[in-house]
Amino acid sequence: MDKAIIAILGHDRPGIVAAVSKILFARDCNIENVSQTTLQFIFAGIFIISMPADLSEESLRQTLTAALAPLGLDVHITLFEAMTTPVSPPQSESYIVTTKGPDRKGLVAGISEVIARFEGNITNLQAVFKGGDDPGDNIMIYEVDVPPQTDQQALYQELKKRAQELALDIDIQHRNIFEAIHRI
Amino acid sequence: MLSQREILSTLEMLKNENLDVRTVTLGINLLDCASQNLEKLTRKIRTRITHYAANLVSACNHIGQKYGIPVVNKRIAVSPIAAVGAAMSSTQMVAVARVLDEAAEAVDVDFIGGFSALVEKGMARGDMALLEAIPQALTETQRVCASVNVASTKAGINMDAVLRMGQAIKQAAQLTADCDGIACAKLCVFANIPQDIPFMAGAYLGIGEADAVINVGVSGPGVVKNALERALDTNDQLDLGQLSEIIKKTAYKVTRVGELIGREVADYLNIRFGVVDLSLAPTPNVGDSVGEIFQSLGLLSIGVPGTTAALALINDAVKKGGAFASSRVGGLSGAFIPVSEDLNISEAARKGYIGLDKLEAITAVCSVGLDMIALPGDTTAETIAAIMADEMAIGVINNKTTATRLIPVPGKKAGDSAFFGGLLGQSTIISVNNGHNPNPFVRRGGLIPAPLQSLTN
Repeated sequence: MDKAIIAILGHDRPGIVAAVSKILFARDCNIENVSQTTLQFIFAGIFIISMPADLSEESLRQTLTAALAPLGLDVHITLFEAMTTPVSPPQSESYIVTTKGPDRKGLVAGISEVIARFEGNITNLQAVFKGGDDPGDNIMIYEVDVPPQTDQQALYQELKKRAQELALDIDIQHRNIFEAIHRI
Repeated sequence: MLSQREILSTLEMLKNENLDVRTVTLGINLLDCASQNLEKLTRKIRTRITHYAANLVSACNHIGQKYGIPVVNKRIAVSPIAAVGAAMSSTQMVAVARVLDEAAEAVDVDFIGGFSALVEKGMARGDMALLEAIPQALTETQRVCASVNVASTKAGINMDAVLRMGQAIKQAAQLTADCDGIACAKLCVFANIPQDIPFMAGAYLGIGEADAVINVGVSGPGVVKNALERALDTNDQLDLGQLSEIIKKTAYKVTRVGELIGREVADYLNIRFGVVDLSLAPTPNVGDSVGEIFQSLGLLSIGVPGTTAALALINDAVKKGGAFASSRVGGLSGAFIPVSEDLNISEAARKGYIGLDKLEAITAVCSVGLDMIALPGDTTAETIAAIMADEMAIGVINNKTTATRLIPVPGKKAGDSAFFGGLLGQSTIISVNNGHNPNPFVRRGGLIPAPLQSLTN
């Protein structure tokens, strides 16, 4: 059975998830995972579905587009082969990198370049830039998986150096501290 | 996925509210170092301490950086030296203290506790030698801390030991007169001393403990104060039950931090993890004060009517939150009221809001006791012993730990200022009622019997 990733983008409004899932149900698709978020006023939703053998990608795209375009929503579908054996994620330590500082262009690019250079995998990024010089208005929070072979001291130092260049205040902490404090 | 609120509130606690791990204390058992030969004894002690503690500071720094939590102090607690060096004379005990000091310096810890004796029921030869050595030992060393347990609920109060400690405190103050009697700041006298305190000056490794153990002291008065003020900013009609709940939840978070760091340091050093001591321990920094919590709760200052009730509320909430957060809670676990070490309490003493009588009263509901209290230099040894006896009685009768850390500041009188420096802070000297008259009561000596454990009203 083929699987597909469906991405829905557009102005947020009530009923988007209901509209998409209604169509998928009607076309005998099974929703396996959904993630959605709203950035400012834009809805972004990603659905991973399994499709029945007699349903084509093109047919599903046409159905979804016909229903969702009037709502101002873009639809993107990509098929991929179902994996027969699950792939274990590589061993890593999870760190939280938080920055605060005046807004300017190139902040995400600057920090993420260092993380990538040390083979860190950004598993989640929350960034809010309201503009201006108030550090509390401009925050980036990266969740980063760092492989065991990475020189953590060097990563720390490079991130701090880059943050200084970008006039950012940076904190790098193992994820467990947040879970210990906030979760039972 | 962590929420933005979880991450930012943690950072706020760390960066602006002085959340830290106040101390990671490595307990080291020295009992099998015992020898009748001073040279052999000190060699074994030095080797044992430098072996176990070689990587303590680097481990704490490494784990602290990993979690972004500073481990402020790294310390060592050893078996009671009165037992380890039972065969030593008082002069030799001073030599042992010097070796402890050197070993502590070699592994870069700021304090080493355990120059201690347990004499609640009687004094053995080694205990007598240690008590006699305390003033000189604390004068000659920088990092050694001493503690003497003179009372317990099971044994009563050893008044002979209490009087001796009064004399030892006077002597230690005189020997360090040029530093306002600072040797006394490294000396605690206890009732019901716990075996696993990580905080100085009372830390020692109990007889019933393992070869080595990591105990952790967490703090966080600033975090508690800010949590209360945030809640009251949102709703200033919160009642005391609701405020207690806020303290409880905050204590939970603070304790979880301590447990996480402690366990990780213990794993890193391959040493067993002991306990988290979930005390609110202030420093002389703005925003790191236990005294300020009283003001957040609505009191003019610590010391005014309502203080004992407020402290009972705080202490109970801290214990409840901490006990839920960790199954390995021990040590003192409560709110400390060290006068000179807390800017706000020191200021309350200066303004006359709090005096010796009220300080003694509130120790009935908090940990630990009359802590870091500067007294007039002419306070007699008998009077100091009598103050200690009063404090011990509170602990013995209420089945809790109490202690004193009293400093009769040579050449200074009530109202003057005493300066101890660093974490020890400074304080206005508090007057003592009838402080230099004879006190035949404490001179009688003997043992105040252990109290009845029923008929508890």
